[in-house]
Amino acid sequence: MALAKDIYQQLEAVVGPENISGSSAVLWSYMYQPFGNIKGVWAEIMPEAVLLPKSTEEVVAVAKICNRHHIVFKAMSTGWGIHNLPGVKGAIVLDLRRMNRILEIDEKNMFAVVEPSVICMQLQVETLRKGLNCHIIGAGSNTSVLASATSVVGYGPDGLSMGFSGRNLLGVEWVLPTGEVLKLGSLGSGDGWFCGDGPGPSLRGILRGWEGAWGGLGVITKCAVKLFHWNGPAELEMKNAQPNYTIKEPLKYFRASLFNFPSLEKLGEAAYKLGESEVGYFISRLSPAFVGLQMAGGMNFVRLWESGMPQQMLKYAFLFVIFANSEGEFAYQQKVLEKILEETGGEASPLAETEEMQGLTATSVIKVDAVTRSCFRSAGGFNTSFGAMDTIDMAMNQVRAGTVLKNQYIQKGVLMEDGGDNSATLVFDQGHLAYTEVLLMYDNHDEKSTAGAMAYLADSNQACLKQALGTPIFQLSQVGTGKHGLFSPACFHYDKWQKEIKKAFDPNNTGDPTAYTEPEHKK
Amino acid sequence: MLLDLNDYRNDMKRCARCSICKWPPLAQMKSWRFSQNCPAISRFNFHAYSGGGRMALGLALAEGKLDETDEELSNIVYRCTACGACDSSCKYNSELEVLWPIYATRARLVGAGCFREEHGPIIESLRREDNPLMKSKSERGRWAEGLDVKDLSKGGQAEVIYHAGCLYSFDPELSKVARETVTLLRSAGVEVGIRGAQESCCGSMAFQLGFQGEFIKFAESNIDDWNALGAKKVVTSCACGFGIMKAVYPLLGKKMKFEVVHISQYLDELIREGKLRLSKKIPLRVTYHDPCNLGRKSEEYVPWKGTEKKVLGQLIVREPEKTVHRGWEGVYDPPRDVIRAVPGIKFVEMERIREYAWCCGAGGGVKTTMDDFALWTAGERIAEAQSVGAEAIVTACSWCERNLKDAAAAQGKKMQVLDIVELVKQAR
Repeated sequence: MALAKDIYQQLEAVVGPENISGSSAVLWSYMYQPFGNIKGVWAEIMPEAVLLPKSTEEVVAVAKICNRHHIVFKAMSTGWGIHNLPGVKGAIVLDLRRMNRILEIDEKNMFAVVEPSVICMQLQVETLRKGLNCHIIGAGSNTSVLASATSVVGYGPDGLSMGFSGRNLLGVEWVLPTGEVLKLGSLGSGDGWFCGDGPGPSLRGILRGWEGAWGGLGVITKCAVKLFHWNGPAELEMKNAQPNYTIKEPLKYFRASLFNFPSLEKLGEAAYKLGESEVGYFISRLSPAFVGLQMAGGMNFVRLWESGMPQQMLKYAFLFVIFANSEGEFAYQQKVLEKILEETGGEASPLAETEEMQGLTATSVIKVDAVTRSCFRSAGGFNTSFGAMDTIDMAMNQVRAGTVLKNQYIQKGVLMEDGGDNSATLVFDQGHLAYTEVLLMYDNHDEKSTAGAMAYLADSNQACLKQALGTPIFQLSQVGTGKHGLFSPACFHYDKWQKEIKKAFDPNNTGDPTAYTEPEHKK
Repeated sequence: MLLDLNDYRNDMKRCARCSICKWPPLAQMKSWRFSQNCPAISRFNFHAYSGGGRMALGLALAEGKLDETDEELSNIVYRCTACGACDSSCKYNSELEVLWPIYATRARLVGAGCFREEHGPIIESLRREDNPLMKSKSERGRWAEGLDVKDLSKGGQAEVIYHAGCLYSFDPELSKVARETVTLLRSAGVEVGIRGAQESCCGSMAFQLGFQGEFIKFAESNIDDWNALGAKKVVTSCACGFGIMKAVYPLLGKKMKFEVVHISQYLDELIREGKLRLSKKIPLRVTYHDPCNLGRKSEEYVPWKGTEKKVLGQLIVREPEKTVHRGWEGVYDPPRDVIRAVPGIKFVEMERIREYAWCCGAGGGVKTTMDDFALWTAGERIAEAQSVGAEAIVTACSWCERNLKDAAAAQGKKMQVLDIVELVKQAR
């Protein structure tokens, strides 16, 4: 069903002929979406057109046209993952790439206002110059600041010191599915961007709840996010150390260490104590496979893996980074750390101790620039499981369940051998929140491997239910309309509320339901 | 044939769609303003215009989802300077080929007879006149009239042959660079010969547009001629020529009995050896623009041929292991060393340099057929040079020089554009 000519012309009049396309060449480029795809790399349903709006006004005008003609629309920022595409026929895509400005960096009140397509690295390079830093999600600094703050998850291992994207969200400008503009937090009362909860309407729970509406509830066109103190240089100069770029000059009061513990219990205990002590810049579970893939690819990784060295050295490990403001604070944090390690039996792995690894680790924890290396290059297909945000104990249980389950599929040969425990991320907000997600690599062009990966994900969802491990990261959005039914009974029938929200905010049903929700239960 | 889209299926189908191809390597990003690396996606914005988008289109073509005759496909495919910035950025985190699938997509369109109307005269000019500029080949050697230099078209041999390239040969404003090059080499005691009217295009334009048959004819002919003339060293000022001779000529399997040297490398060597002395002060604040073909695209390309196998369950490994071309081995330091050797000069770097330099906008046939896009891209580079306070951009490529000069003039920007040879000549 192609868009009717008159509707296309109305949309074209809004964005201009250069910024709308219904050509198959353009559309096929958007159809390529390997991450989150159930099979292969192509989406099943082609959108009717892609538009490139430049402003809130243009988004509003497009939304109103869509409401008049009952056309589903869905917005994307960087567009990484199949959840960025509408999953229903006859829909259009708003690629927000042209809405890419950093509108404000308020040094005094420590926040930035961004449009949807500003990526984390763009914001970070600008904030470092002002002595400020921003939270970067674990997926990498190539992702949208606004998307993770308003619409999709938002975890990252620097969250130990810089929170969680959903909690860092301040004022919001939101174009509802109807085309009305709603301003949240202090912005809603005309008092600027500084607060997400008022004076003015605080609808963060509706806007994103726990995980976000994944673009299914209108378009967020601007938002403010918290910034944090940065005690490093205004610009981080790099040197080339093939294939890596690493920080040229060692950072003052910075130390990255890989700690290995005698058991998962002890690792969890150390994480609690570190959180309670409010020390550290960055913490993440780093599995032997993840670390190995950062260091080597192809046969070099195989040789490293088969040596058994990373598995032995990093069986129950996390990466912990201190980045202090002064010599005194650095010494204090080191002392606290040493005491916690003594109490929990943690030992520093010599892997991280070389100057080269310090530089490499400093770059990767600050810039978060090498995630695709560990996740996508080994087998092509990548996905993630478990990952509900809760306590550290819960996180450890997620690791345990994930390891046992994933090893069954590794034994079948359908997933890449990574020891089962390929978990990432750990503690946020200085220990107030925690989670781990269990990563999996598979060949998304191999039917058997793909089917195995999907079966593992289905089983991991069941494990979350049966073992009370919370709702899994990404799975809600990936498995399609109606997936909420799986978790709803165990989670206070939350989807009933979602459907009520959908009805109230999207009466004409123009928001894409695929990764969010339908207004009514379908049998 | 060199370019078969099917050879790149595995690369194209393993793109993570992470958009890293749209940015400089993330750790090297320095500001919001200059945070893009790809002129095409920056200018046209649809994902199709990015490295990843082009991989998707290549895959769709290879799988028969798209038809070569699609008009918009042709627009997208050729609105690209083939600068390779996407490829360098991608390879920071992967071993996928991005640039060569872009070339191979073009070859696929040409092979299906779907080349663009505006490319017809260029290819016709190459066939008839040995240059892509619609100039008569009889005029090719005129730039050297009056110079004391051995013209090998009249007979004889030379160990060092200077290849001026098409634009330096025919562009009236730029041909002085070729003259100055010969004068400098002669003054440094180099016995240099030129091929005069018999010099021909390196074939780069044909290759970039996807006409691989035409390219092979030029490349083989050049290799044969230089071998026959006894060349030990072929020196060129043309970065496009240098890039194609270094990266692609060796794939033809013909023995090249000569070394290919860019003039910036040779000048650097002569200055180091004390054969060229720079004594005049030039009190100018300059920056250097890395031509793509002298930088990231001049690495010798080793196509991977082998088998993939799975180990550790689903980990895919290649046998033999792949040579990864990250663009780090290009010619980056010699031109900078030459600039620094000029007395009185203040050298400043732009934000996007070396393997992640922003393209000037002229490459891939864009300057010849889509000048507005070329000028827009060059305008971005000039703005970047202005942001570091440069009074002049020094470069080492005729196409970069032409396009940057045109953009500065068209956009009324006060920015000198100097060839590295001009700079050295001024400092003598």
